[in-house]
Amino acid sequence: MDAEQLLDIQGLKLNLPDGTRLLEGVSLRLNAGEALGVVGESGSGKSLTAMSVMGLLPGLKASGSILFSGQELVNLPDKVMRKLRGARIAMIFQDPMTAFLPVRSIGAQIDEQIRLHHRVSRREARARTVQLLERMGVPDPAMAAKRYPHQLSGGLRQRAMIAMALSCTPALLIADEPTTALDVTVQAQILTLLREIREEGAGVMLITHDMGVVAQACTHVAVMYSGLVVENGPVRDVLDRPLHPYTQALLAAIPPLDGPRPERLPTISGQPPTPDNRPTGCVFAPRCSFVRSECAVRPPLTEIEEGRRVACVLYAA
Amino acid sequence: MSVLLEARNLEKSYRLGRGRVLHAVSGVSLQVRKGEALALVGESGCGKSTLGRTLIGLTQPTSGKVLFDGQEISGLSDRAMRPWRARMQMVFQDSSAAFNPRRTVGESLAEPLRIHRRHGVRERVAELLDQVGLSQSVAGRFPHEFSGGQRQRLNIARALALGPELLVADEPVSALDVSVQAQIVNLFGDLRASLGVACIFISHDLSVVRQMADRIAVMYLGSIVEEGNGLNVLDRPAHPYTKALLDAVPRPDRALPPPLQGDVPSPVNPPSGCRFHTRCPIAQPRCATERPVLQPSGEGRQVACHYPL
Repeated sequence: MDAEQLLDIQGLKLNLPDGTRLLEGVSLRLNAGEALGVVGESGSGKSLTAMSVMGLLPGLKASGSILFSGQELVNLPDKVMRKLRGARIAMIFQDPMTAFLPVRSIGAQIDEQIRLHHRVSRREARARTVQLLERMGVPDPAMAAKRYPHQLSGGLRQRAMIAMALSCTPALLIADEPTTALDVTVQAQILTLLREIREEGAGVMLITHDMGVVAQACTHVAVMYSGLVVENGPVRDVLDRPLHPYTQALLAAIPPLDGPRPERLPTISGQPPTPDNRPTGCVFAPRCSFVRSECAVRPPLTEIEEGRRVACVLYAA
Repeated sequence: MSVLLEARNLEKSYRLGRGRVLHAVSGVSLQVRKGEALALVGESGCGKSTLGRTLIGLTQPTSGKVLFDGQEISGLSDRAMRPWRARMQMVFQDSSAAFNPRRTVGESLAEPLRIHRRHGVRERVAELLDQVGLSQSVAGRFPHEFSGGQRQRLNIARALALGPELLVADEPVSALDVSVQAQIVNLFGDLRASLGVACIFISHDLSVVRQMADRIAVMYLGSIVEEGNGLNVLDRPAHPYTKALLDAVPRPDRALPPPLQGDVPSPVNPPSGCRFHTRCPIAQPRCATERPVLQPSGEGRQVACHYPL
């Protein structure tokens, strides 16, 4: 039951022109039919990792490897990347209002995307657009296609953006905080949709800061901190039994929705380091309650059981 | 405990032109006792922010009354409102927009004290910084030198400057990362314990609200549909909308039940009868015609539903 390996990121580093390192060597894997949640707090590098896969980082120097279906994406010429982007790898964003041009109907914009990658007539493109919108659960899709972005509700706009992203049946869908701006009831609808897309065989990479969203929409999770993956594994294993002290602290800081109400919430003292001020050893050491002398050397992301990797000296053999 | 703030049958509507009227808040009555924390929850557009602003006198109600410490404050002129402003303050969501970027935070904290002609400004600023867990030495720094969490602490410090009896905090932690969010949630708990300040938290995050509030009022399309003790309401919701909201929260420990379909209807053209009936999984014919009113249902709880759970 070897699933097709869709994405294999190894030691991805990103530097600013002045040498500041934004990503410190990110390693991630994603198979077709799986959904990988990439979680972390602001500035942890989760969006930068996604943007690297899309090749949308002008001015930044990337090194390491991003294999997409066996093809190396790091430093791929723009012209080649443009053929992949939209067709084989698609992305949806937090704010659909900025993803659509405000002055054209959403149908026209989805038609355009289809005709950019496939040689079909306008009529065929529109038929496909309407079909896509219908599959995304947009009521009265033919009518909705004629509407302008501002005429749709937030939830419908997000569905339209997903329809546009899926218009060329990409093998990999990257979703950057797709539900953060939505109300919970609408978020639940979108998460169900993302799960269906995965079950139909696409790989999904979901960037989020919400552990609940990860639990609902993902099969695997990678936890990022300060430009590094500190832990990854199957979603149930990581959420039920987090290994890295950062993952543990992050989960403990979420106020519970049932059971007894704690007097105070456990917090993580201090703040994450800035990229130009990262510790040479374990990046989490200054805030970690288990810190010891070995933490002065940065621990590698090591597989400690089937499919579970963690970067922490506590689990060194 | 005696009542600090009371709203009686509050309405706030906006004319949109061409005869259309948006009812942002319709028929809301509520009470906040001294030192108590009440949370207003609901989806975007349910009127929770408008209600918060109306309660504190930042927006005038179309009809109805707001009483603070037994005296009516709705309809007061700006000048007449001034002495009351010191007793109730607002904490906004976006702490980066709440401070003048060209002034030191010490100057910003001192401003309300100067406007209200208080003495001992310097000592008071130092005391405020201490209360929100910041070092007194930061007073000379500018807003951009602080992280989001620290700026939210400053935001709270400024709201506390005049020693208010009531804070209205609109989404005070929703822009923050989880670990920082926990620090601010704890800070509000500490401040309530040490200063006895009453709070109205406006939030869409039910788990945060459960942690911070004594009582919860759930709003849908401008009206309160359920109100009561926070833990009771969230652990045993009586209104189908409260239950749907809770069910929709993605949790690490269990799968999501089938989500509520559709969007919140427009407040310009709200549904007849019970406003939730168009999305309610247990709606009956009666719900489309007869609007339920908020009624006591035991344990100090009130529910507006013909068929409470």
